[in-house]
Amino acid sequence: MADESPRRAAQPIGYALHVSEREIARRKEFLEFGEADVETLRALNDAAVRYADPVIEDLYRHFLSFDETRTFFRDPKVLERVKRLQKEYFLRLTRGDYGSEYVTDRLRIGTVHESIKLDPKWYLGAYNFYLRSVAGRFQEAAGGNAKKALSDFLSLMKLVFLDIGLAVDTYIHARELTMRKQQEAIRELSTPVLQIRERLLLLPIVGVIDTQRARLITESLLRAIRDNRAKVVVMDVTGVATIDSKVANHLLQTVTAARLMGATVIVTGLSSDVSQALVQIGIDLSKLNTAGDLQGGIEEAEKLLGYRVVPTLEAGAKDSHAA
Amino acid sequence: MSVPILKQGDILIASIQSALSDSDLVELRDRLAEGVGRARSRGVIIDVTALDVLDSFATRTIRGIAYTTKLRGAVTVVVGIQPGVAYAMVQLGLALEGVETALDLEEGLALLREKR
Repeated sequence: MADESPRRAAQPIGYALHVSEREIARRKEFLEFGEADVETLRALNDAAVRYADPVIEDLYRHFLSFDETRTFFRDPKVLERVKRLQKEYFLRLTRGDYGSEYVTDRLRIGTVHESIKLDPKWYLGAYNFYLRSVAGRFQEAAGGNAKKALSDFLSLMKLVFLDIGLAVDTYIHARELTMRKQQEAIRELSTPVLQIRERLLLLPIVGVIDTQRARLITESLLRAIRDNRAKVVVMDVTGVATIDSKVANHLLQTVTAARLMGATVIVTGLSSDVSQALVQIGIDLSKLNTAGDLQGGIEEAEKLLGYRVVPTLEAGAKDSHAA
Repeated sequence: MSVPILKQGDILIASIQSALSDSDLVELRDRLAEGVGRARSRGVIIDVTALDVLDSFATRTIRGIAYTTKLRGAVTVVVGIQPGVAYAMVQLGLALEGVETALDLEEGLALLREKR
């Protein structure tokens, strides 16, 4: 659970989740974790120190009997170090002072779990194992006073749930960061504007178009029109699987904006399904220049720009004939 | 601020240099409509390169200029709409329908030359 090398711990965790003092207080309030609980836990510290080692041994025997968790402890040296840190983690539960320093420490550990890909299920399972193995020992420590043992245990539960809440937050936070990074990467990849001839741009659109992406596509196209002094743009939508009225309107806006800058847009690659769907939903695309496929679009664009593409062989034959 | 109108052969060039009030726009419209006849112009270029916004009134007035000069025998080309301005215009549904556009002054002149 508390796997972390000293090297890793020394590294600042760049995207640490911040939990404010107020937020901590609020969470404790909701758990009804008060001063009495702090006192109870602190009083348990001696007992905790006594049973820490056997509990750890039990827990790691459990870890090592499952393939999924065993993989984290292949190296005996790592195992020893992790056990030590694990013990520290558990002893921290009964040391009192559960302020921002405590929270920061717990958040850091959650981030480490995420970075080594220890899934929440193993974390939660291990915590549950810990609780079960200390429950009996609480009873022994209370000298058969079942009521006290239970109330001690409930105080511990509150703190454990605070821990779990923080850990779950770090998991979610880390996943969200990953998702955001990937979305950005996809977005950057997905809006290339290519010049294929002097004054002729190609805009291949692949994938799903939402409002935000349509905006990015339009902006990068308009910038490219200005920078390349483009007069014709071939917009290929072969890679767009479905076009609904919203997407069609985005595309129309892009075409209109390009026209405002003096460029003509030719749309290519509207499949039969997409075309039929557009007609069905009654979107007026009559103002649009279209060509059946990309080749047709480029030929049309070349005509508009006054290019004529002639195979070199044919051209050579004509030249020699003329000579 | 009054917009300078330059005569270049049979083309009138209105180069807008700074943001215009509504009355400036109306004045520009009147002067161009009148100037086209007097100079016997074939084309009009309105250069908006310096503008970072074209609102609905400006768009409507420019369209009015284009339609008016058309009736007087001259084609109007709007040149120099910037990327951000173009994007904002389509968001507002201002498309300048039926008005010729070109990237910049040079392109606008080339367009009018083609139409000769």
